[in-house]
Amino acid sequence: MNPLPVVLNATHRLRRSTLWTLAAVGATLGLGLAAGEAAAQAKAIRIGVPTAMQLQVGRDTQDAMKMAIDEVNAKGGVLGRKLEMVVADETENPETGISAIKKLTADEKVDVLIGGYTSGVTLAQLPHISAAKTIYLNVGSASPSTNAKVKTDYDNYKYIFRVGPINAAHQARQMTGFVSVFVKGELGLSKIAIVGENAKWVQDLVPLLKKGATDAGADVRATEFFDSQTSDFSPLFSKVKDSGAQYMVVILSHASSDIFAKQWHDARFPMPYGGIDVKSMDGDFCERIGAKSVGEMAANFAVRAPLTPKTIPFFDEFRKRTNRAPVYTAFGAYDAVHIYAEAVTRAGSTDTEAVIKQLEKTSYIGIPGTIEFDDTHDVKPGTATYKGPSFLFAQWRDGCKREVVHPKELRTADFVYPSWIKK
Amino acid sequence: MLEILIVGAVSSAIYAMLAVGFTLIFGVARILNLAHGTFYALGAYGAYFFTSIFKLPLLPAALLAVALVAVFGIAVERVLIRPMRKSQLAMLMITLAVALVVEQALFLTFGSEYRNVPAFVDAKFTIGGVSIGGARLLALGVGVVLIGALWLFIQHTRMGSAILAISQDAEAAQYMGIPSDRIFALVMGISAALAAAAGVLAGPFLTVQPTMWLLPIVKAFAIVVVGGLGSIPGSILAALMLGYAETIVGYLISTSWTEIVSVAATLLMLVVRPAGFFGRRASF
Amino acid sequence: MFSKPVDLVGAAAFLAFMAALPLVFQSNYLIGVLTVSVIYGIWAVTWDFMSGLTGRENFGHSLFIGVGAYTAGFMNTSFGMPGWWSLPAAMVMAVLFALLIGLPTLRLKGPYFALAMLSGAVIMQRLMLIFWEHTGGEEGINGLTPLIRNQLGFYYFALATLAAITVLLLALARSHWGLILRAIRGDEATCQAAGINVTFYKIASLMISAAFAGAGGAMYAHYQLQVSPQLFAVVTSITIITMVYVGGMASIYGPVGGAILLVLLTELLRNFGEWRLMVYSCVLIAILFFVPGGLVAPTWRRIKAARGWGP
Repeated sequence: MNPLPVVLNATHRLRRSTLWTLAAVGATLGLGLAAGEAAAQAKAIRIGVPTAMQLQVGRDTQDAMKMAIDEVNAKGGVLGRKLEMVVADETENPETGISAIKKLTADEKVDVLIGGYTSGVTLAQLPHISAAKTIYLNVGSASPSTNAKVKTDYDNYKYIFRVGPINAAHQARQMTGFVSVFVKGELGLSKIAIVGENAKWVQDLVPLLKKGATDAGADVRATEFFDSQTSDFSPLFSKVKDSGAQYMVVILSHASSDIFAKQWHDARFPMPYGGIDVKSMDGDFCERIGAKSVGEMAANFAVRAPLTPKTIPFFDEFRKRTNRAPVYTAFGAYDAVHIYAEAVTRAGSTDTEAVIKQLEKTSYIGIPGTIEFDDTHDVKPGTATYKGPSFLFAQWRDGCKREVVHPKELRTADFVYPSWIKK
Repeated sequence: MLEILIVGAVSSAIYAMLAVGFTLIFGVARILNLAHGTFYALGAYGAYFFTSIFKLPLLPAALLAVALVAVFGIAVERVLIRPMRKSQLAMLMITLAVALVVEQALFLTFGSEYRNVPAFVDAKFTIGGVSIGGARLLALGVGVVLIGALWLFIQHTRMGSAILAISQDAEAAQYMGIPSDRIFALVMGISAALAAAAGVLAGPFLTVQPTMWLLPIVKAFAIVVVGGLGSIPGSILAALMLGYAETIVGYLISTSWTEIVSVAATLLMLVVRPAGFFGRRASF
Repeated sequence: MFSKPVDLVGAAAFLAFMAALPLVFQSNYLIGVLTVSVIYGIWAVTWDFMSGLTGRENFGHSLFIGVGAYTAGFMNTSFGMPGWWSLPAAMVMAVLFALLIGLPTLRLKGPYFALAMLSGAVIMQRLMLIFWEHTGGEEGINGLTPLIRNQLGFYYFALATLAAITVLLLALARSHWGLILRAIRGDEATCQAAGINVTFYKIASLMISAAFAGAGGAMYAHYQLQVSPQLFAVVTSITIITMVYVGGMASIYGPVGGAILLVLLTELLRNFGEWRLMVYSCVLIAILFFVPGGLVAPTWRRIKAARGWGP
């Protein structure tokens, strides 16, 4: 049976609209495929970027990486080869995240992966990254579990590194320092409430924080978890107020920090708050909510201050290129590109095993501090003697400016109570 | 206790504004409009857009936003929904697709991060020892006024009677000379305007992100079904129930449990009384 | 439909095409996309069997999927059972949940039924988050072992499963089962008056739909190697309904095409970068608006009619 006349005959009778729609669908698919056939440079080193493209963290990851790649390429590239970047949207959905990894490794055949944001997505991607035997430099997720298997199953999971942020357990310890040295030590407020969103890494972190704070002599009057979808914090605020706390320590990541701040302000809540507030790391956060976060103290990994020689130039260049202030994934992304480039240079090739060996020996002065990896390929946090990345606690001030208040060595201004709290 | 009363009232007011519009368009035109949450989102974004980009003062910006969303709603009904009238599921699916497109448009235009919708009233009020933000009280007040006005409109004007007639029996009403198409457009406009107004009022103290349309529509759907599809008093009653249930659970237990309690209550209601409080029948 | 040789040829051709695709393109990525699309196909077909035929649209299909996936997750990680035990276990659990949610909601129709099922799925999603100590919360359960290590092998297994389930459900749909289910959509009261045990058929069709959806969920878990609460989400159910819609309601085989088409579309549009989902949504509106009867099943029917190959 000759199929051609069959098809021709059949298409005559198909409704025109169906035909047009099929054509449109086909054209769209075709366009999609065609747009992807970018001129492939045979010798370039390809960096795959799985990130949440529609979110600010994703945009900043890409922009910071472009910056770093341009810098490296301007100096002749790595081993004479230029760096180039391929982005794949991982959204906040594990399913899309896994297919992003597959696209980058199996389809685009990248040499290294740099990206990440949501811990749940990264965890889901790990077995697939391992199966693809591709190095992965995490710049956004904080769950300690992502690096757990590096030690327990080295052969399969040696590819995983975390350049930033410092993991949630380290964050808990640094928060404890904040509570004991600043909140209790300097402000003299020993009664605190801990409020965290219902994300797993927060749930892992809070018990550590609570214990650390109590050991330091603070009185934890309330510990409340709330759902990331919560839109009304009045019940929560009410409980915190009734508990007799004097300071509200928060751990917010995906939750609606904007509503939290707005409602805290609107209700003129009688205690200051501060802690980990990922959305508040964003330079535009305060303006975007009508300056209602003035008074909040938020942890940052870096602000425009001379933490290292690279910090201020980075902030300025980023502002010049994108006209905005970078969020935390930008620091990791920028540093990761340079760290990888240096490791490849030392290894003399892009051979995965050799590069891994060199990555493990990394000691690189990055934006938030010196980047070195521990035995689970996880970035080492700063201590009193080691200038690794650490939390800085900055307070939002009038005019939506930020001043570093803690640690004291980096202080740019003293703490100021929110205007309606008389102290 | 007083705090629960007031906070619950505010939540209920917002839910009621969303639910009443949703049930109205369903009762009258049998459209399950999944883009209803989109009108809410567009109201909030519209207020943001006109105040920040065009630098209009708040009231004209708000009114303009509501008016434009009403027009958008009418356009969507006319262009996309009306040709699909033969199938309920078809209308549902196309309104869903509209919601998705608008969400993406908001992502691409305004970015993923929150936007600021200025409040009419920024001060804090203290009622009986309970501190409450001015914006919330305003939302409650305006919500009550708007729904009351709508109720009066439907009960006491000719247009309102036409709407009632269409909702009871569209064909018979048409035989009586009532132009059902124009009534559909009007009702859609009112419904969209109500949702947009809710967005403008709630924007200052709730979240304003491109994904803000999904949760309200799921809640509105539940409220409307529990209240009885097509019944405005039913929606108001169910909105009060949901608003207070969530507030009470939030205060007494934990906010993690609020959603599960309200969803379980919805399920229980459906099992026990399928037609809802004032629904006319349990099926179509 | 399956009594006609032309349909058999069409189905075989389609199957051969699907099997040949990864061999032609030689890409692990494509195999991954196709595997996921085939599993969505299983979910879409099972949805169509129950909701498409009886007209009771189930907005909580993700409940059975999630139950199946989490059963696989727990069995594999907490109890250490090898992956092949997950499939029957998932089916059993899904059927139990079908009974749990199906029996009380028997008399509901239309949006009431839709909302009741949706509520069931939402409650399960919430419970997975509330009891995060046991379920991993939003990070879910990670570290499942793959069912079949070879990517291509797993794909063929999934394809075969899809084919088997589709054939089975088609056969049921063409038998007196399907007739009764369609009659229930038409006029339930009359069916009951005619002495048909309407309750039995409604519950049984939900259980069958749930069983295979749960099996699909377990397969998904053992392929993605993780389970997360997002599987229970409203979005999952709505995505599946959209696939059925695009494929052609009540055709059973149409949703297969709908699922594969839409999953491929989401993936292949990646080159649009940030605009990916926007383009996808616009294409969706175009399909829904211009071809409201669906793309796949009506197209096949028209081809047959045009060529005179029979109904």
